[in-house]
Amino acid sequence: MGEGIISDKSNNDNQTNHIYREKTDRRILKKNPWKDYRLHGTVLVLVIIAELIGPIKIPITNGVEVSIMPLLYSMVLGLVFYLAKPITWIQRKQARIAEGAMMLFIGILIAKLAVSSGQSMHLIFEMGPALLLQELGHLATIIIALPVAILLGFKREAIGMTNSIGREPEVAVVVDKYGFNSPESRGIFALFIIGTMIGTVFISFLASLSTTLLPLHPYAFAMASGVGSASMNAAALGPTLAAFPALETNIEAFAGFSNLLSFSIGIYIVIFLAIPFTEKMYYFLEPRIGRSSKGSESNDENGVGGE
Amino acid sequence: MSELIDEPIDVSTHGIFNWILLLAIFSVITVIGNYVGYKHPIYDSLIGMGILSLITLIGVWMERRLPLNISSIIYISLIGIFIAFPGVPTSETVLYYVSKIELLSIVTVFLAYVGIGIGKSWDEFKALGWKAIIITMLVIASTYFGSAIVAHIILVLTGVPM
Repeated sequence: MGEGIISDKSNNDNQTNHIYREKTDRRILKKNPWKDYRLHGTVLVLVIIAELIGPIKIPITNGVEVSIMPLLYSMVLGLVFYLAKPITWIQRKQARIAEGAMMLFIGILIAKLAVSSGQSMHLIFEMGPALLLQELGHLATIIIALPVAILLGFKREAIGMTNSIGREPEVAVVVDKYGFNSPESRGIFALFIIGTMIGTVFISFLASLSTTLLPLHPYAFAMASGVGSASMNAAALGPTLAAFPALETNIEAFAGFSNLLSFSIGIYIVIFLAIPFTEKMYYFLEPRIGRSSKGSESNDENGVGGE
Repeated sequence: MSELIDEPIDVSTHGIFNWILLLAIFSVITVIGNYVGYKHPIYDSLIGMGILSLITLIGVWMERRLPLNISSIIYISLIGIFIAFPGVPTSETVLYYVSKIELLSIVTVFLAYVGIGIGKSWDEFKALGWKAIIITMLVIASTYFGSAIVAHIILVLTGVPM
């Protein structure tokens, strides 16, 4: 999914917002994506299967359970359908259409969250300080993930990999700052691809576990759901809503608003705080705890292939 | 990766027609899922999805037609917040119909498309080492907990009841 960024650079266009726009336009306007009845029919079947199974609660220990929501089955089934050999009607072409259409469908998700936000606007004003300051909490990744990355032998890739959660806007910022073929960009591409693959499932488990284990404020979990992409937000919201059913509208409102902040104010925090801070930390820590330069060979295996 | 570099295309009425049809397909699938999973009435849910689709359509259109460099996500959010704001004449109607759509119904359909869409990146994903996977999980977990803990502290300090 890094391609939007690539063509973005090729057009000499440094605006982060255009990533969505160009990708959506390219995929949607070139062909008639609604005509692909195999894709949409398959999605309909996957959704019906997922909804029929319904949420499953898996008890881990006393009082601790992980809930798996239909949204995870439909995503994993979608991936399985793409990868499974016998399913010949979902191929690369369908995946490209799905990817383009998805950029438009994010709008529906955002619109639903915005309606919840509008309804609870008085609460959002009241919670303004928490909503704004939790954006700074995102910097925790630099303190925790960067040293581990250095210990594992990553070099400048670590700067791209650990400065933020690495969704589209952050990828654009890093590519813009360091250049497409820099180690920093390789790092954030790796983060982006892995995050796309496992991030949604992972954050859903994380939210599910922590809402049962950690005694934090329900709204704090709601705000934390918004740290990543729209799909990660949604996946983290599922278990949070299940844990606090009485607060549904407010939780949707805070998650939606927090996600909106991640995409608007969050990006300036990445540019002006996170990246400079990551660099400072890296150049301080690397000579002290980094592996010797031999380790840099192994880094190439960890970078994004096929460049 | 050569296929990735496509020439950009101008938005035309043809594009708007494509958007409308795609949103209609998405709406119908969501309404069916919403009925199967939550037994919400089909007719009301369809109106709810119609409202959300219209907001989306206006948002993506504004992004491309207005000279400002603002993402459609911002336009969509502002429109959605405005028409649901208590006291605005549209508020009650919008809330009634949109509340018939569960957020999770939308997400289930959305993620089915995402699942098929990310299939393309599977080979690249497999080529990445286990170390990068560990770091990614750490990045996501620490960002999530960083945000949750800071939010919790501020909520408690400002006296928001649990």
